[in-house]
Amino acid sequence: MPVAVAQDETKDVKKEHVLLPFLQTQSQNTLTRLYQRPSSCLSIFRLLSALERQIIMNLLWLESAISVSTMAAWVVREARPLYDNALATLARLHILPQSTVKLALNPTFKTSFRQALTGGGTSSSFGVPAGEGHDKAQDGIPTDRDGRKDDKRNAPSLNTLDSYAIERWETILHYMVGSGNGRRPPEPSPGVRFLLKTSGLMNEFHGSLQISSTGFQFLLHSPHEQLWHLLLQYLHLAEQRRMDLVDVLSFLFMLSTMELGREYTVANLTKTQSAMLEDLRDYGLIWQRKQSSRRFSPTRLSTTLTSCSPSLPNATGTSSGPQEGFIVLETNYRIYAYTDNPLQTAVLGLFASLKCRFPNLVIGSITRESVKKALSNGITADQIIAYLITHAHPNMRKNNPMLPVTVQDQIRLWELEKNRLKSQEGYLYTAFASQADYELVLNYAKELDVVLWENAAKRCFFGSAEGHSNIKGFIERRTMGQK
Amino acid sequence: MKAIKGILLTCDPAVKQILLAMDEKQKFIIDNLDDYHIVIKADDEYRVRLELEAELEKNTWTLE
Repeated sequence: MPVAVAQDETKDVKKEHVLLPFLQTQSQNTLTRLYQRPSSCLSIFRLLSALERQIIMNLLWLESAISVSTMAAWVVREARPLYDNALATLARLHILPQSTVKLALNPTFKTSFRQALTGGGTSSSFGVPAGEGHDKAQDGIPTDRDGRKDDKRNAPSLNTLDSYAIERWETILHYMVGSGNGRRPPEPSPGVRFLLKTSGLMNEFHGSLQISSTGFQFLLHSPHEQLWHLLLQYLHLAEQRRMDLVDVLSFLFMLSTMELGREYTVANLTKTQSAMLEDLRDYGLIWQRKQSSRRFSPTRLSTTLTSCSPSLPNATGTSSGPQEGFIVLETNYRIYAYTDNPLQTAVLGLFASLKCRFPNLVIGSITRESVKKALSNGITADQIIAYLITHAHPNMRKNNPMLPVTVQDQIRLWELEKNRLKSQEGYLYTAFASQADYELVLNYAKELDVVLWENAAKRCFFGSAEGHSNIKGFIERRTMGQK
Repeated sequence: MKAIKGILLTCDPAVKQILLAMDEKQKFIIDNLDDYHIVIKADDEYRVRLELEAELEKNTWTLE
């Protein structure tokens, strides 16, 4: 564990998964209930960093607790902060309770996770496939004719699932992009629109939804990040709606461990989870033949929730363009995008001015105006550059540096140009009677950390607006005291 | 001792010179602190920003 981990961890510059901070804010009770489900344990394990995973694996098969000093002896001194950090994260997740003497995994987590790895148990937390065994048990229950017919059909093909997921997901993104340039693409369901509004990705404007600056930034992220961003909002919403968070989370985790292309029965779902089916169908996470269907299939969006494989298939034959790189950027600011996907074209149009469009190619250029427009929408230069890098054409990847430096620098310069003027509201304090007076008030303001600018020679300083009432009070108290 | 409400603008010297020139047409500067800082009337900020942008825009050219 010692040296290998240290190296592993320094290479692993990826920041922690967005879900983890949310989980850490949950109570121990909620988390322990969540850990009763093996699929949740496995999913959370997959979201953790390499070092945290290794610590768990080291402790998982130990029957008794290990003393803290024994464990610490494995760690080289330089890696100590990383190790402490990992322990702190695990403690906040209540996986590894903080202790100064012995280290032992949360017993619930330990049992469930062992079960997840070795199989067995009857918790069916990984979902119950439809059409095997379990359906026979239900045969006794009379169902409507549709339900019966439904059961006899074959599971959907991967293609059906993929194109469904893509269609749903791109409808959402398209709706966001389209709202910015006045075009009206097909609207997603009210539930999705509500989520977009409450998450602040879109703002209500004259009765219709308009994309916000966070929404623009959202568009440049990878599908995986976008999905989690929305799901996180969904979780917050679920809390407000008083849905059982454990049910919601465990359903998401269950989906993430399911097998693509397989049908599962809805019979084992709790009430909350059945209600979630509709929402998740709207996001493209779940496919159902009919709303009333007693089976559902996870799509690739949901089965990759906790893995690092791409959330959307790169299979062609669907409307989606190539998933790996498709953008070529030249030193003369010209941009060539090999794509036929209207969504990718629209996202590109956020920061580039497009000139011509061919069946498989879009040509445009990055201009001052186009970048200024993007900046005024709240997109930052770094986001544009990051987007260009992640979607760079394989041929571009042979270059070092990948993007032409001139273009990168220019985009950053354009951003600086926009920020030539920084303004801060506040009060200018001048005309102090004596140097002592000046210093006294200045020191007080400094303690409050509200001084934005000072000049001892001129005997004046500028304090932010928040500090004014305090400073005013301070001076008044002093003058009162002198009288 | 005196406290004057205003907005502290932090900018580069070039922009400050433009602001000084604009101030000659219509007063808005409360105090000229140093090369990088200037205090202006709070109500004028929006107008000053617009005018400054128009002024800076004169110094850029596009290929199109």
